[in-house]
Amino acid sequence: MRQPGIYSGILSSGRKEPHSLPLARIKKIMKRSGDDVKMISGEAPIVFAKACELFIEELARRSWNVAVQGKRRTLHREDVASAVAATEVFDFLVGLVADDDHNNGGGGGGGASRSNSANSSAGGALN
Amino acid sequence: MERGGDAGGSGGGGGYINRSRRHAKQREAAAAALGQPPVSDDSSPNVRGAAKFRLPAANPDAAGQEPPQRRSLPTLREQDQYMPIANVIRIMRRILPAHAKISDDAKETIQECVSEYISFVTGEANERCQREQRKTVTADDVIWAMGKLGFDSYVEPLSLFLARYRETEGDRASYRDPMMLKRSSNDFGGMVMPPPPLPPQQQQMVGYMQGNFLMQSDHLQQQQQQGMYDGGLMNGYYRDPFGSGSGSGSGEDGGGTSQNGMSGFDLYSQYK
Repeated sequence: MRQPGIYSGILSSGRKEPHSLPLARIKKIMKRSGDDVKMISGEAPIVFAKACELFIEELARRSWNVAVQGKRRTLHREDVASAVAATEVFDFLVGLVADDDHNNGGGGGGGASRSNSANSSAGGALN
Repeated sequence: MERGGDAGGSGGGGGYINRSRRHAKQREAAAAALGQPPVSDDSSPNVRGAAKFRLPAANPDAAGQEPPQRRSLPTLREQDQYMPIANVIRIMRRILPAHAKISDDAKETIQECVSEYISFVTGEANERCQREQRKTVTADDVIWAMGKLGFDSYVEPLSLFLARYRETEGDRASYRDPMMLKRSSNDFGGMVMPPPPLPPQQQQMVGYMQGNFLMQSDHLQQQQQQGMYDGGLMNGYYRDPFGSGSGSGSGEDGGGTSQNGMSGFDLYSQYK
């Protein structure tokens, strides 16, 4: 499916940035949400692209608040989990973000901690 | 395919697993087998994609490597079921302060959440369509579903966004990218002439129609070349990318000249 180009940026108060999210991918995910999803109008992925931006922004903001409360500057999965737990609209995510390994809570997981620390130490460059 | 193969599964019937933990453990296991240190490569566009390529196929731990299928579909590549992580990160960074760092697992988690969000809302929207015996999930259904599911604060901005979008498609845009204008005049080598008088609804199209109106025979070729640059930019101006049709008629069919000018833009179908 063809990606619309930069024209989409005009929809966001003259911001020159294209749609941040690929519409074809959104459409794919929509189709996978149920066997009975048949046809999707052209505008629907476009609305979703914007909606997902709002969603990511909200989730990031809330998660960050949790991190700040913990006096940390790195956003961890646990922060996202806490934000999800604390927000009613995000109830559908509870199963998704559930922390499996509470033992490893400190580093974000025994295996993942190495990647986290690698990330944090080189965080400036990578991020 | 077992979801809980290595990480011990998660609580709850959904059976979601922390992808980064699962992959991190596999990276370790695979790396240990290969005698190499595991690396978290954030620089690749898809962190998990990079990790995946490093794992040898023979690795028994790789059994859980592919994201377990949801809803009994054949195994999907991760990149098919999630938003690209780079895009997700970029949006997050708009909100977070400059000094904030984001762990890999937080990025992945949010990436997963986005897909879940889309599925969740689409499911609700689709249900409404079925109740009303409609086949197509529309943007309005999507917005309605968000309101129904508690995302009230999104409804108004999205409605506005949609209204603006529809307006835009109808007019064939009130937006003229000055870069494009500049480019067109450059590419057409000074052949730019004052545009012919246009009916009001098309006056706004002048910006990028300018070059195209005026070159009758040559413009197709020149547009072809220019199209290489502007393909992405111009596609949307002239064609409703999804052929939804409702808004696209008025702008394009405004008059004879515009039809001629527009006909060449079927070429952009190559960009579809």
